[in-house]
Amino acid sequence: MSKFTWFSGRGPALTHNQLERLRALREPAELDERSLRQQRFVVLDLETSGLNMRRDQVLSIGAVVIDNGAIDLSQQFECTLQRDGHQASASTLIHGIAPSQIANGVEPAEALLDFMEFVGDSPLLAFHAEFDQRMLARALKQSLGYRLRHAFLDVAEIAPLICPQAKPGLAGLDDWTAHFGLQVQERHHASADALATAELALILLSKARQQQLDSLPALLQALNSRRRQRAYSM
Amino acid sequence: MSSADAIAQAGKTAVLQNIHGTMAFLQKFPPFNQMDTAHLAYLVENCQLRFYGEGETIIQPSDGVVEHFYIVKQGRVHGERPHTAKRGTETTFEIATGECFPLAALIGERATRTAHLAAEDTFCLLLAKAAFVKLFALSNPLRDFALRGVSSLLDQVNQQVQMRAVETLGAQYSLDTRLGQLAMRQPIGCSPEMPLREAVRLMHEQQVGSIVVVDPANKPLGIFTLRDLRRVVADGVDLSQPINQLMTPQPFHLPPDASAFDAAMAMTERHIAHVCLVENDQLCGVISERDLFSLQRVDLVHLARTIRHAGRVETLAALRSEVRQLVDSMLAHGASSTQITQLITLLNDHTVCRVIELTLEDMGDPGIPFTWLVFGSEGRSEQTLHTDQDNGILFEAQDAAEAAAIRARLLPLAVEINQRLAQCGFTLCKGNIMAGNPELCLSRLEWAKRFNQFIHAATPENLLSSCIYFDLRAVWGDPQGCEQLRQALLSDVAGNILFQRMLAENALLQRPPLGLFRDFVVARKGAEKHTLDLKVQGLTPFVDGARLLALAHGVTACNTQERLHALSQLGVIEPLDGAAYEEAYHYIQQARLQQHQLQARDGLPYSNRVDPDHLNHLDQRILRESFRQAQRLQSSLAVRYQL
Repeated sequence: MSKFTWFSGRGPALTHNQLERLRALREPAELDERSLRQQRFVVLDLETSGLNMRRDQVLSIGAVVIDNGAIDLSQQFECTLQRDGHQASASTLIHGIAPSQIANGVEPAEALLDFMEFVGDSPLLAFHAEFDQRMLARALKQSLGYRLRHAFLDVAEIAPLICPQAKPGLAGLDDWTAHFGLQVQERHHASADALATAELALILLSKARQQQLDSLPALLQALNSRRRQRAYSM
Repeated sequence: MSSADAIAQAGKTAVLQNIHGTMAFLQKFPPFNQMDTAHLAYLVENCQLRFYGEGETIIQPSDGVVEHFYIVKQGRVHGERPHTAKRGTETTFEIATGECFPLAALIGERATRTAHLAAEDTFCLLLAKAAFVKLFALSNPLRDFALRGVSSLLDQVNQQVQMRAVETLGAQYSLDTRLGQLAMRQPIGCSPEMPLREAVRLMHEQQVGSIVVVDPANKPLGIFTLRDLRRVVADGVDLSQPINQLMTPQPFHLPPDASAFDAAMAMTERHIAHVCLVENDQLCGVISERDLFSLQRVDLVHLARTIRHAGRVETLAALRSEVRQLVDSMLAHGASSTQITQLITLLNDHTVCRVIELTLEDMGDPGIPFTWLVFGSEGRSEQTLHTDQDNGILFEAQDAAEAAAIRARLLPLAVEINQRLAQCGFTLCKGNIMAGNPELCLSRLEWAKRFNQFIHAATPENLLSSCIYFDLRAVWGDPQGCEQLRQALLSDVAGNILFQRMLAENALLQRPPLGLFRDFVVARKGAEKHTLDLKVQGLTPFVDGARLLALAHGVTACNTQERLHALSQLGVIEPLDGAAYEEAYHYIQQARLQQHQLQARDGLPYSNRVDPDHLNHLDQRILRESFRQAQRLQSSLAVRYQL
């Protein structure tokens, strides 16, 4: 591996090897009419230093894959990112990642390349996806100069669409896992949360198929019209 | 990748949170709890997690050869096959969280014979066949489990029962007991010069089998035992000789810290019956063969003989605690509930006979031959330690007048027998189903008439009575009359479909406590909250079902398992079903027995109620499966009698 570092005026400093890998990353796939059963999804959860989408940093990434309608336990991603000068803060209590773990983490550019290679061209699923999408996009921009264009679907938005009969006010991941009686292991850990989100997604995708929403375009269309209805009714 | 590499690789990824979490989950269930960590990690890492909505088919015969090993991570799976007698399907088994399927099909490399459906929203872990085969070769616990299936589960339960019983037997039963603790009494010693005659008198006065000859410092020089005395007397030796001429010198000895096992070994090896205990060169005790024998389990033959020859009712009453110890000990030695209930019945029969004989001696024999009948669980030879009296008397009489005269003579005797049985721990029957009741002290013709009424005038009360009286057996006296009565009964029932239907309705009254959505249905309130009744809800469906089918098909046996067995042989029920019913009945009975033993030990009243949450996972699982068999028996009755 070359130690030689390329400096470009605008972007971050990457090694030759990293640039190669960056170039080789796959474009997001077109969302086609294939059945949800055949669709590969990457279910993602991030732990961050806080909730400020402009200032806070991604500390760890957990992801699992839904492929052929099942969570494949052999495809999992779990990585803590190295962040210099990271201080323990209020959110340390929530994500439970000690500053020492952060110091021992993987260099961010490496970690993010690993992750994007894991994602490939698949669409992403997350709970409250907007947050994960923006945090991930910013991290990719800063560390790799990469523009994230992968589709993001929000499980928190799909859930009430598919289960309109569920009692209103179910907001958090905990609410929905409890609603479906899911037994969740240790939570507030990126990979455990990603798995819980993926289990929730499996139930929802199964129910979506029953409701004739059996492709990504169909599902996205239904989400859009629900958004419009809600905007109208407000 | 070679399998060794694959396992090593699995070891590394086991640190991943989710793999770790899933492993921790599986480690709560057999066989995963016995598997090597690396093997388990390999299993989890190669799994996929799949969701099945309620009612969705997971795997079915038309899917062809099974390609995956399934573990229920959450939810419930039902096995369904076409109903044997009506349209639609019946649920044949249920698979709950932590359990796996379809082992037989997977190992047999064939399709399943049963459709597996999600009974509620269910998540399964699926392991591809290739990975399963690899693990099957590597992991002994998985292989054993897969090959032996449920029967290995039953073995585990039995082992568990044995272990628990051993725990409660206490230190006094252990061969690890210190000898110092066993040698309770002071050893009898004498000087070397003491004349033999005097030494023997001393042994006789102290009721011991041996005397140790010691020096003034209390150091053992020799031992003289009853066995030596026999030899001495046979040889015609002068009894005024000093004992040191006739003793066995340098007796074998052990320190008081040695174990009962050491002493037993020494006795067996050396053919001696006594071992001296010596500490600091001083005699501190003697252990005899008999001291060790009393440690061993209470001997059944001996106990039966003691009961049969007891001279007083008080002795019989005192022997009850030995029966309990015997049951404990038999559980510890791996006896089945069938063996144990038969044993209790046998000992109870001995007690009943002895009570009758003693009462006849005390009150005078009226000189009228009679037969002592028992009904209900006693009639079925299914007694546990918790025993009510259900009995009656049968005698021969020509007409009503003679019957009344005989009855008047037998009744005082019967009342006294009932009272004495109560003294021996047979609780008086609340419903007064006892021989001392004039309505139950009848001639054979009166009994036949009464049974006939039960069958033809089918009131709810008569129906209830038939469930008690039709399980009858003679315990004392000539059994001939009882058998004649039974033959008449069987031919009466066989020809009366209406009565059979009513018995069938009655057999469906007690539903096994299994819910649709929860594992067990338990009482919702009161002192019995969260509990279910093993006897009424678990055993009664089998007992009632077996009675109905036995009476309807001329089966003379009364015992539920014997009835089921006979019905299988007659082809009335499928042999496979019969075996499953017998096994399920046996398991529930075993659970009940264990419960009674624990209650007796804790001085609590006997109860048949258990809180399923207090059972361990294995017991819960088998209990649930047993109840399901009861449901199957009931639904087959419903079909048979078109209810």
